Amino acid sequence: MKHWWKILGAVLVLYALIAGLLIPLKPGILEVAPERTQWGNTISLQIKAYNSHFQEAKELKAWLKLDSTHFVPTSHIKVLSNTRLTADFRLPIHQMEEQSKELTLILDNEIDGYSLLPGAIQVTLSDSTISRGFLWSNDLGRIHEPQGLTFPYRNILYETIRNLFYHVPLWFAMLILLFISMIYSGLYLKSMNTKYDHAALALTQIGILYGILGLITGAIWARWTWGDWWSFDVKQNMSAIAMLIYLAYFVLRSSFEDDEVKARVSSVYNIFAFTTLIPLLFVIPRLYDSLHPGNGGNPGLGGEDLDNTMRMVFYPAIIGFTLLGAWLANLAYRYLRLEEKHLEE
Amino acid sequence: METIRQIPILISKEFLLEWRSKYALGGILLYVMSTVFIVYNGFIRVAPPTWNVLFWIMSLFTSVNAVTKSFSRENGNRQLYYYTLADPTAVIFSKITYNSLLLILLNLLTYLVFGTVTGNPVKDKGLFFLAIILGSLGMAVILTFISAIANKAKNSATLMAILGFPLMIPVLVSLIKITANALGVITDTSVNEDIWILLAIDAILWALAYILFPFLWRD
Repeated sequence: MKHWWKILGAVLVLYALIAGLLIPLKPGILEVAPERTQWGNTISLQIKAYNSHFQEAKELKAWLKLDSTHFVPTSHIKVLSNTRLTADFRLPIHQMEEQSKELTLILDNEIDGYSLLPGAIQVTLSDSTISRGFLWSNDLGRIHEPQGLTFPYRNILYETIRNLFYHVPLWFAMLILLFISMIYSGLYLKSMNTKYDHAALALTQIGILYGILGLITGAIWARWTWGDWWSFDVKQNMSAIAMLIYLAYFVLRSSFEDDEVKARVSSVYNIFAFTTLIPLLFVIPRLYDSLHPGNGGNPGLGGEDLDNTMRMVFYPAIIGFTLLGAWLANLAYRYLRLEEKHLEE
Repeated sequence: METIRQIPILISKEFLLEWRSKYALGGILLYVMSTVFIVYNGFIRVAPPTWNVLFWIMSLFTSVNAVTKSFSRENGNRQLYYYTLADPTAVIFSKITYNSLLLILLNLLTYLVFGTVTGNPVKDKGLFFLAIILGSLGMAVILTFISAIANKAKNSATLMAILGFPLMIPVLVSLIKITANALGVITDTSVNEDIWILLAIDAILWALAYILFPFLWRD
């Protein structure tokens, strides 16, 4: 079984595709109307949720939360459909000085588990000071954990959270492939054996293919979260420039007639190129404000955004795409070797 | 020891060559002047953020023009002659040092002319000069190295632009950020960190050029 790693790569990529696309999102709250009210009012919130099962659930509950000890439980819930319901709340008169407060909406039932919408409703100071005797509750009681395998529900991201399994592993795999390519270039310079140069070329070809796919998946993600295919985010720009640096590698190769000089000069350039890739992708984006997670003050991956269910797909996807890339590079390498052999005959 | 002894000789050789072909240096000086005047005619009053970017764009093109010839002006037989005499590391070291000095000079000149013509918005002069020096070092390494690579291929002028411009971007982008601080366009508390990063990029590129050049050199 010397081909085990090819099979493993294909299986992991297939797994990442199937699991990454089929596991549903955790139920969540899409939007709430009205968006503002006053303290002391009785309001009827119209709630639109996603992936929820209100009609099948028996223990529907809802709260508005101010902080960890101030809750307003719902007084009445009316289910309209599986994803829509109206919940009535009686807001107390607020004792604090601040003008307005944002309350978090919490929904809970035994099928979907709990879901939150921070800043669901803004409550401003009341015109009248007559208290109708509505009171805070200081405890939630028992809430349910979500059932079954789900990916986290995040506002703005929604279903695009799945792109994490394709966009990010493609870049990881690209870096690994280009790194190995640089090592082969070093080996070529040490031994002057053409097969190392061919290996470096094959790995770069597949690395750049991955890079372009990474740019495309990134652009699709940007379209649905940041609003534009190309947002001129510093990391987007720097990745595009990184692609230019490597496309120049192919231009450079095509401008030699002597194969030995071609292999030597392009190996030197490859090492130089990979070294400038590191500041481009990892240092410069940190100097500027970037929309990417982990740059310009944005939080990095981790916490609830990358929960255990996501990790279960994310890490295999990285390994899978890397192995698949190595397989593709192996094919490209064998093609180059055959071509060379053919030319010699 | 032999290598170190060769370096000053090779550097003085570069100066001599430049001095003997005065048209090259004169051409670059005229190039700087005419770019500044074209920019001036287009903008007249330049706002500091634009000034900052325009300065580095002019600097980029001037540098490319100045360094492109560094290997191609001594062709064929003469390079073979150097090869028999000198150590490759001494050759690349002296070329990069000479080009760094040349670029510092040209960038200061651009600054002087551009600053006089369009008004000088630089508030923190020390920081700006530091950026010019670090930037010239970085650009000199990249361009010298690329001109050594391009010299090996045909169409070396085209290759120079294709290979050089994308590689210059990390250096240029961090330079623009540092000089934006010097111009007071942005105030950044971490400007020291930016300088260290630029210095680190310069150092890595120097080291790489030093290690890789011997492989390019031999034919």
